Amino acid sequence: MVLAVESKGLSIGYLDEEDRVLWVVKNVDMQVREGEIYCLVGESGCGKTTLGSSIAGVLPPYSVTRGELVIYGRRVIKDVLRSYEGVRGKLTSYIPQNPGSSLSPYMRIWDQFWRVLREQGLNEKTAKERATAILKTLSLGQGVLEHYPHELSGGMQQRVAIGLSLATGAKVLVADEPTSSVDANLKLQLMRLFKDVRDNYGVTIVLITHDILLAGKACDRIAVMYAGEIVEEGDSTSVLTRPLHPYTKLLVDVVPMLGFKKTLASIPGEPPKPGLLREGCYFYERCPFRDEVCLNHVETQVIDGRRVKCWKPLVDKTTS
Amino acid sequence: MLETPGGQDYLVKVENVTAGYLSVKSFSSLTKTFTPVLRDINLSLRDGERVAVIGESGSGKTTLLKVILGLLKPVKGRVLIEGLDIYSSRKAWLRAVKKLGYVPQDPFKALDPRVKIKTSLMEPLETSRYSREEVNRLIKEAVKLVGLPEEVIEYYPSSLSGGMLQRVLIARALINRPKLFLLDEPTSSLDVSTQAQIINLINKIYHNYKMGILLVTHDLAVAQYLAERVIILREGRVIEEGFFEDVILNPRHEYTRLLVKSYMMEPI
Repeated sequence: MVLAVESKGLSIGYLDEEDRVLWVVKNVDMQVREGEIYCLVGESGCGKTTLGSSIAGVLPPYSVTRGELVIYGRRVIKDVLRSYEGVRGKLTSYIPQNPGSSLSPYMRIWDQFWRVLREQGLNEKTAKERATAILKTLSLGQGVLEHYPHELSGGMQQRVAIGLSLATGAKVLVADEPTSSVDANLKLQLMRLFKDVRDNYGVTIVLITHDILLAGKACDRIAVMYAGEIVEEGDSTSVLTRPLHPYTKLLVDVVPMLGFKKTLASIPGEPPKPGLLREGCYFYERCPFRDEVCLNHVETQVIDGRRVKCWKPLVDKTTS
Repeated sequence: MLETPGGQDYLVKVENVTAGYLSVKSFSSLTKTFTPVLRDINLSLRDGERVAVIGESGSGKTTLLKVILGLLKPVKGRVLIEGLDIYSSRKAWLRAVKKLGYVPQDPFKALDPRVKIKTSLMEPLETSRYSREEVNRLIKEAVKLVGLPEEVIEYYPSSLSGGMLQRVLIARALINRPKLFLLDEPTSSLDVSTQAQIINLINKIYHNYKMGILLVTHDLAVAQYLAERVIILREGRVIEEGFFEDVILNPRHEYTRLLVKSYMMEPI
């Protein structure tokens, strides 16, 4: 098993006006295997986008890092030092939330492909063949190459953006909320597209989303994030059907599901503001299963190959 | 005669409405062309009925709400609220619009950032003659009803989270005790845990006041919790309508079938 991305004790924070560090990602140990679709799930402010941008190499300059991040054996983050030379745009590639904003409005789609492909030493003819082949797997015709981005629909722009990431030859694609601006019936198509891309190109995809059901449909493994930590990580079906962490269980229970009308659970309160640091569990205030101990004790356990950050996971209640 | 036979039974009746926007086609001659967004829409809502309008972006969902709120005059057809054509006179519109409570789509943009929550909540009461004590009492009641602490009314919108702002908007909509709630994608910009809170809140309010709900959304699963009847809108036309269960279990239109399928749990 080759690890595409591995992090050890990775923390990422941002400097505020008074030069204090707000830690947004805290002490994350993550292992993304080669060729899998790995999903980071969580609510806004949980640090999933920050973690995703650290893999893609697009962290802003005012961010502070600690710990280690290794991509295909190359260490890109070592405490405060960061070096993405030869990794950013070569090994990893980023598909931003808004596809339209990642395409240059003044260049035809072909010129944008050419700009990427000529870096790889291809001549114009082979580059064109390559671009056409990529567009074909994304079910876009060759005609798209002659258009400007504004002449394409949102869905087509998104596919072009995915195509450009593929053209870089990157082995790890990071897609930030690809479905947030897409209608319900197209979400499924887009997820299928990601699966096809993975199967055809053998790339590893890190998908960032807040939609846990969508994650369950499309991904091999899920990491649920809360307040900057990964609270549960495991293969998607077992995380969704037999959640171990109380937060995962509630997150599944709050999502309205078509077909059976369950009572929607309600998680009282709101997620903590980024930057909060404490010893115990961050979910303490909102957790229905909490205990006095949780306030200053939390431990990571491995159960059936799944990692959960809770000292009394919901093992018995879910299996019985 | 203004009323249709039995027209009084309906709270809202939308009759053969075609509505849309003017756009300038060529700037040299400034010729304007009419782009219809809603085409020949019929819709009726009884007192206390809960209806969801489902459609993808660009299907005319929000335009339908604008037409019912009296903000966009249809080029054809009419809108009756309690039998009164709201586009017949300004007086009729003012009378009708008091029966409606509107919750806009984006909670971050819907409140004036320059004034306190209190001032925003007062606005709907301005047309009615209430004393200052009554206004304060109504505001406090509304804030309590949506589950916010009382001191929130002294805050500015920028210091509240999305979920809290959405609660403020719901409070503002129900402060006049409307007969119909118009909800425009009430949860689309919220996180899932907050979304569940808001859905539960709207249901709680419904069970207390039994007001009608007209929900506009692209999310079938959310609609399931807030409505009994569903109308599927596509390219400005009603392509399917009926009770929720019937439409979900037995979709007749190809688009509806696709929509329902996209919610099914099986892996791709």
